[in-house]
Amino acid sequence: MPVDVTLPVAARRATPPGPLLAFWHSFRENRGAVLGLIIVSIVILIALFANVLAPHDPFEQFRGFTRLPPIWVEGSSWTYPLGTDALGRDMLSRLMYGSRISLFIGLSVMLVSMITGVILGLASAWFGGIIDVIILRIMDLIMSIPSLVLAILIVAIIGPNLTNTIVAVTVVYLPRYVRLMRASALSELSKDYVTAAKVSGVGPLRLMLVTVLPNCLPPLIVQAALGVSDAILEAAGLGFLGLGAQPPTPEWGTMLADSRDLITSHPWVMALPGIAILITVLAINLMGDGLRDALDPRLKRS
Amino acid sequence: MIRFLLRRLALTVPTFVALMFVTFMMIRLVPGDPIEVRRGERGISPERLAELRHEMGLDQPIWKQFVDYVWGLLHGDFGVSIITKNPILQEFLHLFPATIELSVCALLFATIIGIPAGVIAASRRGGVYDQTLMGLALTGYSMPIFWWGLILILIMSNTLHLTPVSGRVDLIKYFYPQVTGFMLIDSLISGQKGAFPDAVRHLILPTIVLGTVPLAIIARMTRSSMLEVLEEDYVRTARAKGLAPYRVIGIHALRNALIPVVTVIGLSIGSLLAGAVLTETIFSWPGVGKWLIESIGRRDYPALQGGIMLISSIVIVVNLLVDLTYGLINPRIRHAR
Repeated sequence: MPVDVTLPVAARRATPPGPLLAFWHSFRENRGAVLGLIIVSIVILIALFANVLAPHDPFEQFRGFTRLPPIWVEGSSWTYPLGTDALGRDMLSRLMYGSRISLFIGLSVMLVSMITGVILGLASAWFGGIIDVIILRIMDLIMSIPSLVLAILIVAIIGPNLTNTIVAVTVVYLPRYVRLMRASALSELSKDYVTAAKVSGVGPLRLMLVTVLPNCLPPLIVQAALGVSDAILEAAGLGFLGLGAQPPTPEWGTMLADSRDLITSHPWVMALPGIAILITVLAINLMGDGLRDALDPRLKRS
Repeated sequence: MIRFLLRRLALTVPTFVALMFVTFMMIRLVPGDPIEVRRGERGISPERLAELRHEMGLDQPIWKQFVDYVWGLLHGDFGVSIITKNPILQEFLHLFPATIELSVCALLFATIIGIPAGVIAASRRGGVYDQTLMGLALTGYSMPIFWWGLILILIMSNTLHLTPVSGRVDLIKYFYPQVTGFMLIDSLISGQKGAFPDAVRHLILPTIVLGTVPLAIIARMTRSSMLEVLEEDYVRTARAKGLAPYRVIGIHALRNALIPVVTVIGLSIGSLLAGAVLTETIFSWPGVGKWLIESIGRRDYPALQGGIMLISSIVIVVNLLVDLTYGLINPRIRHAR
């Protein structure tokens, strides 16, 4: 009887864990990363179900209840758990809807700049020569203009709104993906398995996308995670300067800028959106650190 | 070395040309013709319009305009502000010392705290100090600095009354001429009692706010670089020799661990000079960042164009210098590529 019990255990130990499982094991060891993952999941759930979870409409102005404090301060009301802003809008509902906007900005900036960056980086590594030089010079140019200034410049040209914020921040973050992709594609291209694939007659498109790209993914994924949090911060900064999403959109940076005048009299109206930004960005960064350690030990520096 | 220098210099030329092209196109892409912006709502006669167009060179073919623009830039002509009618270069140079002063203080703050924090964290790897310091560093790195600034104002200025809310100097109490443009120096030169402490008090909060992100980056970088170096054979040898731990860490390891940290510090100078936009806006710090934002608000596009051209040029030059110094320190960089 004991043989029946021990055998499968021994057999299970003998098979190496699959890559996903191995990744999860080393990710789980990092407590901060797991905490980050939990918070990020909660924020994502709030964003997805904001219309169900939010107690009020984020735009509705309760004129009789302006500038109510959050529940832990005297004079508050349970109807508005985190208080109301200068126009009597429910802060909790606005923050919940704000998570939609911030995550949307972060994810779309990351996706667009990563996909564009991967294409440009692969093209740069594959073609070399004049195309490589041109792409690299353009990236140098983008990086030579300080990121916020460049974003401001782009927004000034195309006008301040949510979509244009995304466009501006995408351009700002493009170079990192291009350079990362180009560097890792170049180092992969010199390896034997690529030569083998070439010899066996694989076409360039298939070679780059199917053979080379998957081997460049780990650093790219880490960069993508950190790219989301950076994009959220950058977009909130633009919103704060009045160049991002426009009021009454419940974007966190815009909300913060709106309530600047209340800093002495009603500080929580200004403090809450900032706390929301900080928690979200911090959680994503914690997760990103864990991803980096689990996916690519070589990247542990930085 | 000369070849490395020349190659590195040659690489910046196309970047400069492209920068000139982008800033040149920018003013043509913004909504509203420069003339329309200038004439306001009252409107002007068609003759005057043509005259103005001719004055600003807008009736020339576009390539000619670009050549004129580049020619002007090369002669230090960065255009004229629509609002103040002053040359952009003059306005920029007037405001730039404020930004430099703030950036230098922020970088000093970040370095002085960041490096020891990183060293302590690395030498107590996995311990309470390490976890606390790195937790704080990651929080600093994730900080929305505009919010951080407002919170600090709320606590330090509004509640504790320790620091002033905004500006560089208390104009009611102190008035002294701008000699260097750096308030710390000017206040000392003026000899007025209390002027220097006043200038310092104005600097504290902006320095902390602007320095927070670089501080976090430097601390994290120092830690990981130290951890790598501590594994090296010569550190083990030093330990085996019986050297005191502080000597091993402080002298043998730190020296070698600092090389990547120095690069990070160097490269953040450029972004600091311009990253001051948010900090300057919050603290009404009269530097180039705040001026750029105000130029957008006033639709002063020539100022925006000239300002971006100047800031970006400075960033390119600073990064070039950092690169060259790095090549000097580390011959491996020079010969690679």
